[in-house]
Amino acid sequence: MKTHYSRSLIALSTTALALPGISQGDAPPLDSTFSYKFSNYKEDDLSRTEAPFGELERYDIDVHQFQLITPWGRNMALQVDGNYESLSGASPWFTSTGLDGEPVVNLSGASGIRDRRSELAIGARYYLENGSIGGNIGYSEEDDYRARYIGLSGERHFNNDLTTIGLGFSHSADDIFPTDASLFNRVASESKQSTSLVLSVSQIINQTTTVQTALSITEQSGYLSDPYKLFDVRPDDKTQFAWSNSFRHFFVEAEAAAHVNYRLYHDDFGVSSHTLDFAWHQNLPDDWRIIPNIRYYTQSAAKFFTNIDNPFTSSDQYQSSDYRLAAFGAISGGFSVVKNWGVWTGTLTAERYVAKEKYSGYTVALPSTALVSYTRLSVGFDYTF
Amino acid sequence: MQATLRRFGFQAMGSPCELQFYSDSTIEAKKASRRLAAEVVRLEKKYSRFLRDSYLTAINYSAGDSLGIRLDSETYRLLEHALACFEESEGLFDITSAPLAQLWDFRNARVPTQAQIDSALEHIGFHRLHWKKSRLHLPAGMSIDLGGIVKEYAADAVASNARRLGITHGLVNLGGDFAVIGPKPDDSPWPVGIVDPRKPDTLMAKINLGSGGIASSGDYARCFEHEGKRYSHIINPKTGWPCEGLRAVSVAANLSTVAGSMATIAMLKSRDAGIKYLKDSGLPHVYMTQEEDVGGEGLAPLAAAQTATDEQATA
Repeated sequence: MKTHYSRSLIALSTTALALPGISQGDAPPLDSTFSYKFSNYKEDDLSRTEAPFGELERYDIDVHQFQLITPWGRNMALQVDGNYESLSGASPWFTSTGLDGEPVVNLSGASGIRDRRSELAIGARYYLENGSIGGNIGYSEEDDYRARYIGLSGERHFNNDLTTIGLGFSHSADDIFPTDASLFNRVASESKQSTSLVLSVSQIINQTTTVQTALSITEQSGYLSDPYKLFDVRPDDKTQFAWSNSFRHFFVEAEAAAHVNYRLYHDDFGVSSHTLDFAWHQNLPDDWRIIPNIRYYTQSAAKFFTNIDNPFTSSDQYQSSDYRLAAFGAISGGFSVVKNWGVWTGTLTAERYVAKEKYSGYTVALPSTALVSYTRLSVGFDYTF
Repeated sequence: MQATLRRFGFQAMGSPCELQFYSDSTIEAKKASRRLAAEVVRLEKKYSRFLRDSYLTAINYSAGDSLGIRLDSETYRLLEHALACFEESEGLFDITSAPLAQLWDFRNARVPTQAQIDSALEHIGFHRLHWKKSRLHLPAGMSIDLGGIVKEYAADAVASNARRLGITHGLVNLGGDFAVIGPKPDDSPWPVGIVDPRKPDTLMAKINLGSGGIASSGDYARCFEHEGKRYSHIINPKTGWPCEGLRAVSVAANLSTVAGSMATIAMLKSRDAGIKYLKDSGLPHVYMTQEEDVGGEGLAPLAAAQTATDEQATA
């Protein structure tokens, strides 16, 4: 037998060994994709009965998101994410008693808040025969907030690629330095850390059905209160658990896919929540796709939630009137239209979210004064090259 | 319990196919063979030129579309391999040459006119494809045919899937293209016979295959004689006329896909260039010339015509 092989054999072996049926390896995307999305998130104004004095206008946020994913050699992909947000409006400052003893909300600042947030993250993923490993680092900065984070994740396929187990770790270190700290008696500078672990299992049931379940635990420590709320005192530690499940089924005849997700959440502030959402991805002729979706959310109140701040509690007694810690329910619905023109894909989305005490699946002992309702509109495109 | 040899025959890709492997459970073996056969059927349905709902039909239907079509990663890699075949054969192995094959009507033994050939040649040439990453722009009038690659690829894919199902000893045969799952339980190789193109029930060579695959290309299966001249079904995409080089080639390589591509390239070349190409490859091979001389290296040519009683024989 000869030990010298022709150049032709080497060339043909190289391309044949990259065939997915033979190598079965995970592979990075073939194309580079640049995506941009603009979203406007606008919270409904408060009514005069909810806030007798001052500003009624709540947050109005414009978000610009950029993403670039590009293959790097045969086994790697790089990803860059950019985010720019500009925010205006006001957020609840403190709650108090109205003329008839009912809780009312006082919004921050006569002229409201203006802030900008910029974020940049870069990541890389390396594809192996039976899975992939990846990592990313990111930095986010606002006038009064700075976050640095790192993430590592890996996944591995088993059982003839029908089962995938994923493990992820992330850590974030944040600094908080509220504006006008001395003027409003806010903390000058604080920090917090957050560490998360996620374990997920995905299973392909058959050619049209997949299920995924994931468990995550997040440990937060440091300054977890809201520095812009006058009487907000929360514990320095928080442990969060989440159990997320998703089910996808493709209907071949209808050329449509149903996505059903359910998430159960609990933390040791006392908040538990359930989220159930349903989306229908309908393919239409000429590369159009429409996606209606509906979501129900409900949560219980944190142990220290109050709807009327007590200005006389000692500073080590926990209390918060943050509506996000109240018991409530929310219903949201949205509609997306996606159209593909070759290398371009455009997406338009409208979403309406309404949170109400009466939607709550939990008993509402203390109704929040400032539950939020919002409208989000977004327009985006993807370009592959 | 002693693992016994299980054999499963099925029909796919227009050929008789057979899976042979050792397993100690009849039920498990049946389950596995059904899954493996399904992989062949999947590839057949995806890359059939004749099925109206195949992915390849959708690609060919996109010819002339200014938006082009997006290739999935499997098709992208197959095209990448087809490009390597095109380059390594200096343009002879061309997946866009289907219009010529249609023009040369072997069923009715009809020789097309030079004008017909010239007009078909205008729509042939891999280099005319606008292909950038996953987007393929197929010019109007052009089509692609992956038939020269997919059967061998399917044999390799089945062998690879079988290993992932835990099968360690077995052999895949898709219409004479073989891929080894693993050697026999005693580590001995699988004997594979190569059929004599002149007499389908006799062997012209034999090889012991412990790994990799063996594939064949030949014009004996489909050819015709017209006014005393023999026309091969293998068409030179540069001239538009049937090749007059070797009559049959079998190659053993690390993969059935590689073996099949090299056998086809050798067939497309002129006789001497084809023989040199095979010799330079360093791979075990056997060929038959138009003069019916048998040659090759690394395979055992059989001095006397041996009856093809050996159950695995490459056509």
